[in-house]
Amino acid sequence: MMTLMQACQIVDEAREEAIIVTTMGAMGATDQLAPQRPLTVACVPLMGGAASLGMGLALARPDRTVMVLDGDASLLMELGGLVSVAQAQPDNFFHIVINNGVQFAGLGNLQTPGHSGIDFTGLARAAGYRACYRFDSAEQFAAGITEVLSGPAPAFVELAVSHNDATLGPANPAVEMTDARFTRMGDELRDIRARLGAGRA
Amino acid sequence: MTHHSHYAVTASDVIAAFQRCGIDHVTTVPDMLQIALHDALEREPGIRQINCTTEDQAIEVASGLWAGGARVAVLVQNQGFYAGINSLRALGLDSKIPLLFMIGQFGREWSNLGQDPRQSSRRMVRMLEPLLELLDIPYWRLEGPGDASHIDTAWRASRERSGPAALLVGHFIGFDAVESAS
Repeated sequence: MMTLMQACQIVDEAREEAIIVTTMGAMGATDQLAPQRPLTVACVPLMGGAASLGMGLALARPDRTVMVLDGDASLLMELGGLVSVAQAQPDNFFHIVINNGVQFAGLGNLQTPGHSGIDFTGLARAAGYRACYRFDSAEQFAAGITEVLSGPAPAFVELAVSHNDATLGPANPAVEMTDARFTRMGDELRDIRARLGAGRA
Repeated sequence: MTHHSHYAVTASDVIAAFQRCGIDHVTTVPDMLQIALHDALEREPGIRQINCTTEDQAIEVASGLWAGGARVAVLVQNQGFYAGINSLRALGLDSKIPLLFMIGQFGREWSNLGQDPRQSSRRMVRMLEPLLELLDIPYWRLEGPGDASHIDTAWRASRERSGPAALLVGHFIGFDAVESAS
């Protein structure tokens, strides 16, 4: 088991010029590691959409590596997306799933459907991903990520990740969503588009 | 007897409009009314058709393609459009991504052809335009052979507004060879 921060740190160190799509827990950890990192977009608030957003980027820019930092519950919301990716076969697409077995990790820690042993790599393999991996520790993932990124794609990576204790409770009964949570995805997509030199509307 | 070609644009007219707009990708969950177009797109080398398993994905893939510089149309059915509202809200409306939709009016009764689709007896058909107005999404009807130019207009509107624009496909898109032989 690795922590979420360890997982995102390893990805950040390996990304080079890759485009990264984050969502949910990975979005928060990536924000902490490197706020406003170029070529990074948070798929929010749109749980489930990260892989398809990343697939569009990968298909438009086959010259770029695209990495998606998905969540287990997020993936389950659009599980058929595994088939869409496999059908389109973007060979620059790397789908990394943070599997911590809960929704609202660190906030409410509600069990994810299938938390007790769903075989994510088996699902991806059956859908038609060209390579599937699972890493259970930060050491394994750090040692293996270079091989993953140089291997066949679309590739699927499941990471066994721990989660922090829930913080929502009587002493902290509510959290408010900021305005930026509703505008950042568009701003970040426009920034990526500009950095890629994709000028025409 | 229903003269279907009176109420339809043809696949070649749509593709010609797509080419005028520079559209190079289509994302879709295929629509029964647009089968002729889907079929023609499979033979059109300049436009890649990407089939998705849900309309959410079709909208998300289209948005990613846009961010990468592609020019995209989203082909769905009315009930699929209803299913994809949250992705539309997130990407088309909140994120202001230009998205061109072609939405098939599945389930429209033939007695309503040539009439106002808001007067359709089918809820699935008559709720589409009021919903688009609620969402502040401009739309144009494709109700006959002369309406293909609306595609160009809707494309421009989606770019100028930085958001969604919709074409409502009122009847089965025509198969060119069959239509010309009849």
